[in-house]
Amino acid sequence: MALSDIAEQLEKSDPSLARYNRQMLWEPIGIAGQKKLKASRVLMVGCGALGTVLANTLARAGVGHLTIIDRDFIEINNLQRQVLFDQQDIADQLPKAVAAKKKIAQINSDVQVEAVVADVNHTNILNYAGGCDLLLDGTDNFETRFLINDVSIKLNIPWVYGACISAMGLAMVIRPGITPCLRCVFETVPPPGMNPTCDTAGVLGPTVNIVASWQAMEALKLLTGNINAVSRYLFSFDCWDNRYQQLNVAKARDIADCPACKHHNYEYLSGKFASSTTTLCGRNAVQISQPAGSKINFEQIAVGLKAVGSPSFNKFMLKCTINEGQGERQRQHELTLFADGRAIIKGTNDASVARAIYSKYVGA
Amino acid sequence: MAVKVRIPTPLRQLTNGVDMIETPAGDIAQVLQHVCQKFDGMDKRLFKQPGELNRFVNIYLNDEDIRFLENLATVVKDGDDVSIVPAIAGG
Ligand SMILES: [Zn+2]
Repeated sequence: MALSDIAEQLEKSDPSLARYNRQMLWEPIGIAGQKKLKASRVLMVGCGALGTVLANTLARAGVGHLTIIDRDFIEINNLQRQVLFDQQDIADQLPKAVAAKKKIAQINSDVQVEAVVADVNHTNILNYAGGCDLLLDGTDNFETRFLINDVSIKLNIPWVYGACISAMGLAMVIRPGITPCLRCVFETVPPPGMNPTCDTAGVLGPTVNIVASWQAMEALKLLTGNINAVSRYLFSFDCWDNRYQQLNVAKARDIADCPACKHHNYEYLSGKFASSTTTLCGRNAVQISQPAGSKINFEQIAVGLKAVGSPSFNKFMLKCTINEGQGERQRQHELTLFADGRAIIKGTNDASVARAIYSKYVGA
Repeated sequence: MAVKVRIPTPLRQLTNGVDMIETPAGDIAQVLQHVCQKFDGMDKRLFKQPGELNRFVNIYLNDEDIRFLENLATVVKDGDDVSIVPAIAGG
């Protein structure tokens, strides 16, 4: 019997599978793969640009359970690339995780979505990751990625790294004990301000879609048990100049003497490198402290901040009033950044808002 | 023929948008030296201190990480491609 006939018969016996017909016709997935997808649990860490493309694709593909964690609200400048959101979500002032859940319910109501509006950090990530088959990276900062990396190794759950900026992206599948981990490849995070972020250097919608779709493809292979098809390379996408490279990182595990996957010393999960936040009572401000050793390059940070304010700095500190959002959702925060990476963010009492501003404009 | 060094987007603010430069053959250290001399500020982005690369930047010679070759002493021939790949944060 042809595969298409089998698919047709199965759809008759289980009509809920009909929507996946074109996917099941692809033999490596088939009916068995589709059932595996339905039985799988995925943790989506961050639901911005990469996260919405990932959540959208996996929900349509029929993943059984999706936990979506995000700490942010939707802004008008998100809609250029964050495919699950629309203007009504902004008018309704929905957090990203909630808006994503609402949209997915309309796309595929068979998918169970748990929306969590929270700042993912070393104190809570294990609660969400336990029992998952796969962790997906939709974050916008290194600290959280290295945290996911620690959790992946500790719980022996694969994860798919993805990152993008302007027209460039990187992505890689990490399978604990089999491939190198992210810390084997990039041993440390850049100090704050050393790397541009999407909020300072911009990002194109297609870059996001290309990187996240690559992640989603690897996710489908992992979840349907097609392990041999999973990439073992670090993928580099230069979408503007049309250069796509598969970088060979296979030996990184032997070379890097990695604290995470070789020594099982989970420095990010232990909180050793966590930035700590303190709400400064009565001042409508939050202080963020970086772990010792951070060195700040005010000049570079100031360049990026020019998109949202008028930064000024001297040897000791940088100051900038940051304007975000429009209309009713317009927000103003005052960032004061010190040479050791410590920052005071005025205009909020909410640690997760302050962290979001820090990772957007200072980077870390 | 020369060595082609690819500058990734996140570092192009230092190169006025230039995405590739050609350098004479030599070893990786000499090739990167050439890049750093040509562009102000590149040195800080690539090197922690003289002779030691930042650990959040990888250098690939024709798709192979130089850490698996001879690191900065890896020989680069005419026609080779050197890629600078920094960890990136966005998403
Ligand atoms: Zn590792």
